[in-house]
Amino acid sequence: MHPTIRYLKNKNLLWQANHAYHDTQNELHTGYQELDNALQGGFPEHGVIDIRSPLGIGELRLLLPSILLRQQQNTTELTTLIAPPMDINAEMWAEFGLSIERIMLIRPNSERDVLWSAEQSLKSGCCHSVVIWHSSLSVAQTKRLQLAAEKGHCLLFIIREPKQEQISLPVSLGLQLSPDKAGVNARITKRKGAFSKKAFTVNMHHYWPEICQPRQSNVLTFPLRASQVG
Amino acid sequence: MTRPPCVMQKLWLYLYFPSLQLDTLLQQSSDTDIHKQAYIIFDEAKNQTCQLNEAAYQAGIRLGMGLGTASMLKADLQVIPYQENITQNRLNSIAQNLYLATSDICFFSHNGLLLRVHNMLNLYGDLVTYWQHIKHILLTQNVHFHYATGHSPLAAKLLAVKAWDRITDSKIHIEQAMSKCTLQHTELSPKSIQKLNRIGIHDVKGLLKLPLADIAKRFEIDIVTYIGRLTAELSHPVNFFHPKPYFNQIIELLFDVQSIQILQKPLLQLLAKLELFLKERDLLTQSLKVYLSQREHNPIKLEVNSQQGEYLAKHWEELLFLKLENISLESPIFAIQLLAPTTYVRRPDKQDLFAGKQGLLSPLQLRSILQAKLGKKAILTPQLANDYRPERTTLLNQTNTKAAADFPLFALRPSFLLTPPQPLQEKVHLASGPERIETGWWDSEFIIRDYFIAYNALGQWYWIFKTPHNKWYLHGVFS
Repeated sequence: MHPTIRYLKNKNLLWQANHAYHDTQNELHTGYQELDNALQGGFPEHGVIDIRSPLGIGELRLLLPSILLRQQQNTTELTTLIAPPMDINAEMWAEFGLSIERIMLIRPNSERDVLWSAEQSLKSGCCHSVVIWHSSLSVAQTKRLQLAAEKGHCLLFIIREPKQEQISLPVSLGLQLSPDKAGVNARITKRKGAFSKKAFTVNMHHYWPEICQPRQSNVLTFPLRASQVG
Repeated sequence: MTRPPCVMQKLWLYLYFPSLQLDTLLQQSSDTDIHKQAYIIFDEAKNQTCQLNEAAYQAGIRLGMGLGTASMLKADLQVIPYQENITQNRLNSIAQNLYLATSDICFFSHNGLLLRVHNMLNLYGDLVTYWQHIKHILLTQNVHFHYATGHSPLAAKLLAVKAWDRITDSKIHIEQAMSKCTLQHTELSPKSIQKLNRIGIHDVKGLLKLPLADIAKRFEIDIVTYIGRLTAELSHPVNFFHPKPYFNQIIELLFDVQSIQILQKPLLQLLAKLELFLKERDLLTQSLKVYLSQREHNPIKLEVNSQQGEYLAKHWEELLFLKLENISLESPIFAIQLLAPTTYVRRPDKQDLFAGKQGLLSPLQLRSILQAKLGKKAILTPQLANDYRPERTTLLNQTNTKAAADFPLFALRPSFLLTPPQPLQEKVHLASGPERIETGWWDSEFIIRDYFIAYNALGQWYWIFKTPHNKWYLHGVFS
């Protein structure tokens, strides 16, 4: 290395692209090796994560390990679910290890109230994660949610359909998901302080082997469960 | 050695509030100009002025005047009808506050309180210290008052109504002051006063000179009872007040209010009073009721709940104003009542001072804020029920529950359920299954279902089932 460059680097006057804004201490493992690699650590500690995904391909299962981890780290705080598209099935959450009495489900009547309750939950400081299902968001609304999330040290996941408007929102992380045989295909569309990379597959086989499409093989799996008669 | 028996001299203090309703009305505004305006409270039943302020007095208006005379004396006179419940309510709140300093309080009339002093002197030492405490509380109440002590309840009342305004336990001074009172100041009926006048008695001095036995021969029993009680020769039983553990206050607005924004200021004053009430007693409350009296419609009733007990005005303010956003006024509001029906003693929260970040709100506070705006039905907590039928496994509670499931949970359940299950209308590939659920034979919802996990061409994961009649339904989605 050229002495001048070394000197400038030692003085911390030279900035290199691979030393971009990146605080590994503040990142939580997502529970999926591929996603952790792509995010160089995991989801941000707090902020807004915009997830564009069709319904039912595993978008919520992608978040479950990190929500579980956050719940274990913050034993008094709530997980808030706002305006889910259907009735939630608490058995699945409980079976995954979450304490469901610390889940709060909010079903507002209007679209405006969805964002209002999200903002209240985010800035309250008593929620560690908030998941909202919401279709349209403006830049101003997103900024407001981002500020609220930073105030309350909370992580907000916004799950919405992929086809909606393509303006770039000021979120901490943007993910686009599509179905895959082994789990989901993910592409990072936006990330604070980093460049997006090409798409990758998140393998969910070790959590839910049954909810993966079979690979081409001629090995028959033995039925895992007998029928339950009660 | 035996101690000489301590003869405790009985002493009573009477507090007379000449203009409770007017004081309650005028204290809403801190503006000093309001006191330049003449106000009277007019009793429609008796057709006479019963309360007036300084400006009205300066104009020549006196108590007992009719409406015609009063309005002739002052052209821009504000006349407000007398309302018994406002006076009562105010008197009650004064008594609540006095109870913090003195134990025996009696509602002696609709505009006065009687305090038993002699048994409180053991605590306060002397009369002057006692009076300083009482006076301090009265001054914070922002009401006009007159006071006097006496050796019987009626003597104290007589002197207080006459505005003697002195605190003493000297029997001579009290008797001197009493003897100057005319019979009109006493509680004797006009008929009895007339009778006494005929025999040449015009003041209390003359009345007290007569022996009680002689009066009993010539006059009715009520005069005898009055004089006997005045001189403490006859005992005067009184009922003492027991403080209510709840807060209830009514204020009448200075002018009719049609906008919610203007309503916020008097509400804040009420909330500040509530905060003081609860703080002094170390109490918390979980719900508030607000009644907004409308001029031409039924009162609006609002109920605000906080999951966590609160006393601070600013917390209630936030919840109440969220509630106010959702209402619309049909006609102008003229009075507000704030009621905290149940209270309980505060228990300190045991929180670790050093346990990481301290949130601004507790989960219960957040829940209350959300409930105030969205309604109780919108905020739910899931709970598990021990039932094999998937649609019955999840219960949604409006309250916060703590029960943990102690029964086995099944893996491979979807994150979302469709209620009711929809007929399957697309081509799917089965990925795993079947899992038979055959249950509910004990009630009307008997099911036999074979559940499969399936995926469609778009890669969406479904939880589907087949009935014995070979019909396929979509029941859940693995998100």
